[in-house]
Amino acid sequence: MTRYVMVADLRRCVGCQTCTAACRHINGTPPGVQWRRVLDMEIGVYPDVHRAFVPVGCQHCSDPPCLDVCPSTATRKRDDGIVTIDYDICIGCSYCAVACPYDARYKVSRAEFAYGGEGMANEQAVFDPRRINVATKCTFCVDRIDAGTAKGLTPGVDPEATPACVNSCIAQALHFGDIDDPDSNVSKLVRDNEHFRMHEELGTNPGFYYLWDAAGEEEK
Amino acid sequence: MRGITPYRQNYWDWRAAGNFMYGGTGSGLIVSSLLALAYGEPTLLHVLIGLVFMGTGLGLVWLEIGRPFRALNVFLHPQRSWMTREGFVATVAFGVGAAAMWFGHALLIAGTAALALLFLYCQAHILQASKGIPAWREPTLAPLIIATGLTEGVAASLALVSAAFTMTMVALVVLLTLRAWSWRRYRLASETGMPTAAARVLAAFSMPFLLLGHVLPLALLIADMALGNRYPALTYFAAVLAFGSGWTFKFMVVRYAAQTQGFAIIHRPARGPRGSGGEGVKPGWGS
Amino acid sequence: MKSPTATPRQVEKKPTYCYQCVAGPDLLTVSVSDGVAVACEPNFSAAEVHPGGGKCCVKAYGLVQKTYNPHRITTPMKRTNPKKGRDQDPGFVAISWDEALDTIADKLREIRQKGLLDESGYARVAATFGGGGTPTYYMGTFPAFLSAWGAVDLGYGSGQGVKCYHSEHLYGEFWHRAFTVGSDTPRCDYVISCGANLEASAGVVGVWRHSNARIRGMKRVQVEPHLSVTGGCSASWVPIRPKTDAAFLYAIMHVLCFEHPLDALDVPFLRDRTAAPYLVAPNGYYMRDPSSRKPLVWDMKTKRALPFDSPDIEPALQGLFRVSGVEVGADNETWQHTEIEVRSAFEAMRDHLAGATPAWASEICDVPEDTIRTVANEYLAHARVGETIDIEGVTLPYRPVAVVLGKSVTNGWGGYECCWARTMLACLVGALEVPGGTLGTTVRLNRPATSRFASVLPDADGFMTQPLNPTDRERWKIKPKSRNAYNTLVPLVGDSPWSPALGPTYLSWLFQDKPPENWPRPTLPDLWFIYRTNPAISNWDAPAIADRMAKFPFIVALTYTRDESNHMADILLPEATDLESTQLIRMGGTKFIEQFWNYEGFGLRQKMVEPQGEAKDFTDIATELARRTGLLENYNRAINKGAACTKLSGDNYDFSLDEKTPHTPEEIWDAVCRAASAELTDGKETDGLDWFQKNGYKFKPFPLLNWYLYPRMVEQGLRFEMPFQERLYRVGQELANRLHEHGIEWWDTQLKEYQALPAWKDFPGIWQEAAIAEGGSIDDYPFWLLTARSMQYSWGANAGIQLMREVAGNIGGHAGVIINTETARKLGIEDGDLVEIRSSLRATKGHAVLRQGIRPDTLLTLGQFDHWAMPVAKDFQMPSLNTVAPMTMALMDATGSGSDLVRVGLRKLDGGRS
Repeated sequence: MTRYVMVADLRRCVGCQTCTAACRHINGTPPGVQWRRVLDMEIGVYPDVHRAFVPVGCQHCSDPPCLDVCPSTATRKRDDGIVTIDYDICIGCSYCAVACPYDARYKVSRAEFAYGGEGMANEQAVFDPRRINVATKCTFCVDRIDAGTAKGLTPGVDPEATPACVNSCIAQALHFGDIDDPDSNVSKLVRDNEHFRMHEELGTNPGFYYLWDAAGEEEK
Repeated sequence: MRGITPYRQNYWDWRAAGNFMYGGTGSGLIVSSLLALAYGEPTLLHVLIGLVFMGTGLGLVWLEIGRPFRALNVFLHPQRSWMTREGFVATVAFGVGAAAMWFGHALLIAGTAALALLFLYCQAHILQASKGIPAWREPTLAPLIIATGLTEGVAASLALVSAAFTMTMVALVVLLTLRAWSWRRYRLASETGMPTAAARVLAAFSMPFLLLGHVLPLALLIADMALGNRYPALTYFAAVLAFGSGWTFKFMVVRYAAQTQGFAIIHRPARGPRGSGGEGVKPGWGS
Repeated sequence: MKSPTATPRQVEKKPTYCYQCVAGPDLLTVSVSDGVAVACEPNFSAAEVHPGGGKCCVKAYGLVQKTYNPHRITTPMKRTNPKKGRDQDPGFVAISWDEALDTIADKLREIRQKGLLDESGYARVAATFGGGGTPTYYMGTFPAFLSAWGAVDLGYGSGQGVKCYHSEHLYGEFWHRAFTVGSDTPRCDYVISCGANLEASAGVVGVWRHSNARIRGMKRVQVEPHLSVTGGCSASWVPIRPKTDAAFLYAIMHVLCFEHPLDALDVPFLRDRTAAPYLVAPNGYYMRDPSSRKPLVWDMKTKRALPFDSPDIEPALQGLFRVSGVEVGADNETWQHTEIEVRSAFEAMRDHLAGATPAWASEICDVPEDTIRTVANEYLAHARVGETIDIEGVTLPYRPVAVVLGKSVTNGWGGYECCWARTMLACLVGALEVPGGTLGTTVRLNRPATSRFASVLPDADGFMTQPLNPTDRERWKIKPKSRNAYNTLVPLVGDSPWSPALGPTYLSWLFQDKPPENWPRPTLPDLWFIYRTNPAISNWDAPAIADRMAKFPFIVALTYTRDESNHMADILLPEATDLESTQLIRMGGTKFIEQFWNYEGFGLRQKMVEPQGEAKDFTDIATELARRTGLLENYNRAINKGAACTKLSGDNYDFSLDEKTPHTPEEIWDAVCRAASAELTDGKETDGLDWFQKNGYKFKPFPLLNWYLYPRMVEQGLRFEMPFQERLYRVGQELANRLHEHGIEWWDTQLKEYQALPAWKDFPGIWQEAAIAEGGSIDDYPFWLLTARSMQYSWGANAGIQLMREVAGNIGGHAGVIINTETARKLGIEDGDLVEIRSSLRATKGHAVLRQGIRPDTLLTLGQFDHWAMPVAKDFQMPSLNTVAPMTMALMDATGSGSDLVRVGLRKLDGGRS
């Protein structure tokens, strides 16, 4: 089996938002719709304060609450673990949005452009009316993965088959790959490092691993 | 701009809240028809008004969804979605309810009541399945939603019953007590299981809700009963309070205690040498 | 509007570069769909050659919106309202290119007839470009036009030059060919970073290298008043009181020198590669050999003083010695000494630092004594003194420790002290210019700029030569070349093409209204070009700068959108922007801030979409200006000689342009591409523009050994000019003599910076005094207001780009002024409240952003905002330090820079929560 997951190395992430911008570009999302974004979290009280930059977005859960609640079956989970939305079926009820504990879903009710009006030429070129009034979210750039794997490329290794955010990351904080393959890049990263998943206690079985330290020798 | 700390969701607005308000009362009213049925009183108005209420609630949802002309797609996921199930149950309830009104058969009315109860159950689970909103997914909310739907329905039914009036009053006393107890469980759960902002909303709501929504109507009902039902106005006023507080509660839960989960990290990362990481943070939760 | 699925679109990926900030260039590709640029991506094919994996940073993703921004000016325009000022509507109306260019050309010809210099000796034409020199990478052949023109005053600052790493630029290049200084991050294990906000300002490569280093286990200690993004990515944060970094660093030096034995330090390095053993005579100059005039050292073998370069000697670092010799001071003043007691420069430095204990610094810096001592000991422990490493077959010292300094630490008063301490800390453990240590990147004051090492030549005292502006009586220039007087007042800045922009650039503004005594009458330039710069926002006392700009008689603004500076312009020229025009530039080698490459060569920025409206390639504009002013031949000649990237002819190739005819940008850049290609391959390959358009870049290997200056110093037997600054001290004395001879005393405070061993002064006190110079009490201004860079905006001139605003919003502080949570609570300020920040000058307003990661006595505004004309940005409601920071002589150091620092008061305003 294959399960594609994202690995975010919090030791590396600097919160630059390059992934956010790259996602906006490649996926042509409208202003404010950030399928990938990076949180700036402060930890502690002055003077013992720390910051962590935490990439978030759809966690492509193995037990996705959004899928359970979706009344139209627009939200589905593929065999490779990617949770998708069929814009042609979605009724835009937003049930998935309130079911998602990762605040990953967006719904816009009208065409919105960076500077208003009819949109700039670049916005017109990528505008997709199917996305109006339906739920949208990170797709793990599923089209790239499908096109890439069709060419025999490996997601997470070959840029052509890899999500845009991972490709863009200037800190090598974001990694993508098949966690079911013990030899994959992400399996090695997860094996060699201390990690956690967010809100795991909610039973979502998220596909997003956060690395926070190297594993001790005994843990490898 | 979305932040880090839990924020009040804006996906479901007053229209969604209205579904729980109308739907809860409507289904409760239909369920309450069983009391009238037991006393041989007419029940058609219970069913009719109940169905109209349920329909109004669903109509409000229809107004809220982004693609109203695809509304029928709501029926595509009965295996797992409580919204689909709500839709199915409502559809069957409308059918059976229509038959009940047409034929007036007690079994059909009882069947409609059973479906209405199921509808209410679906509504409660719609909220509970909303894992992104801690105040909704809290397990103690589901019985509270059911209790308040029944309370509102029974309260509303007081206007429609005569022979069953006293028994309905007793039922209302029982339901109000049950609702108060359910609320208390929910409130206590909120202190640990919800974002601070949501818990604050619930805390602020609690005392007025208990006093105006429970203590006062109970006192009025008991007073009326103690005085031999000579002052039905007391009971009607109690019913209005029971009904109104139920609606206020649901509006509050859907609109104001509806903080999102927010984000959390269990560990802050090491920045350099191994071991330089530490405890994480869960903004908007706890103190 | 059509669905993307309606018709299949033709999508091509075109390679280009992004050099919006000084931390570039980076490589990227842009997807062009049916002629419309739609998305940026890294240049994956460059992953191996680019030190940041072929990636580009968030700013590059703003380029698509930049291209299609509806607020762009897309036709030439002229001003119709002769009155200028913030409150005046310029009344810009569209005109033809012919009219615009003819108007400018007429003006230029008129100026040429009058003479290039005005009655005060200043160039009649001035030009200002934005920070970091990056506009050069977008202005095509305009440098060739300026070269063809002749004298141009480049000394009007827009903040650049004085708000940069200014002391680092000047002293760094002087000491180790380090216009900027970085750590050898791939090999470094321990970094003390005083406010160097690398994760925000070191670009893709900085982020890339440091994230790798963190995983490797490198420890970085971030010393700064607020917890920046970089602090957040560091192992620990030391919240230091603003402007006290020098005391912190001095205390670390003290610990190394006084709490550890000498042999814990790198004695061979100090003895052989620095001036530490040079003997210091009583008047503050070296004791010199009477005949050769070479500095003396005490030879431990022969027990006598010998010239530093005597063979087979073992110079002493410590001790007092009885020595005879001469001492040569300013203006060749000479003292003969016989058998007097002298000490080594190293001993002088130790004496200088004797009182700089951690306890002493703790009081000044508000940092626990233990913290300072721990950092010092960790630094030493990580230095691996004595170890070596093999680099390309050469064995070099391996010292994986570094000290890096940030903006406001390396500029303004205290900058010299910090830079000196940093460089000396490297010397103490032998970590200067060796693998793992503190490295320079590039040169801008020395020539040639294309090689960091070509100018490494010995001077008489065993150091590298340095082209200081002369201060002797014969050659010193009382008449400045530029209105900022860089060549008159700042010997260290030299006179390279970069020097005018690195002089005291705010003097041009400061003197405009109120000239000092005995100084040439300030005049305004007859014509001023401005490009990718916005002094009306980016300078201190920004509103006053705007007022002064309003007095300029004729401003030509190369314009993207309307902004606060082109609000005063007479002609707006819409230039084809990043994705709409063509240029070839040099890349690779070593370059600021952390761009250390293993390759060098050339990269192309290509026209991939048609310019919006009538926007014109800057190269076309330059060519037309040259033609219409009768300078075409000179202009083409300048291009042939290398003014556009590189010389067009070499030993075995010649792609020179015909000098008599105008050429299209395509013709020019094709010739440049071919010459560049030939230069890289010794004439074997001559790939033209079409090849570069397809491939994007062409490189050849750059040796790793070239990252380090140390081997070059060893080869030539040279010493780093540390710790004792005899040369600077002498130059300072001579400059004082010259100025005083001409009755100029207003530079006396600055002259005090010329110390052989820089002493700690109450640097914060300078800003405190400035706050109450006009009266009032310091209690009215209880806070320090600082700035920090924002990666999303730094140098980008992109405040009007919606995407940048949007994504920057995810990072704390982009919505207003950062205030310590507890401080805010005491003042009754809640997150999002509208607050007023008031200095002695004026007030700026913004919303409160409450954070724990900032000192209680400090406020912080990110970037430079407070726009009032630029579309989009003018609605930000962002406070700006520049609005409230004064621009005065008292705040200017000897190199001509100030610092982003001002004392302010803070109060909540009614209403207006965000």
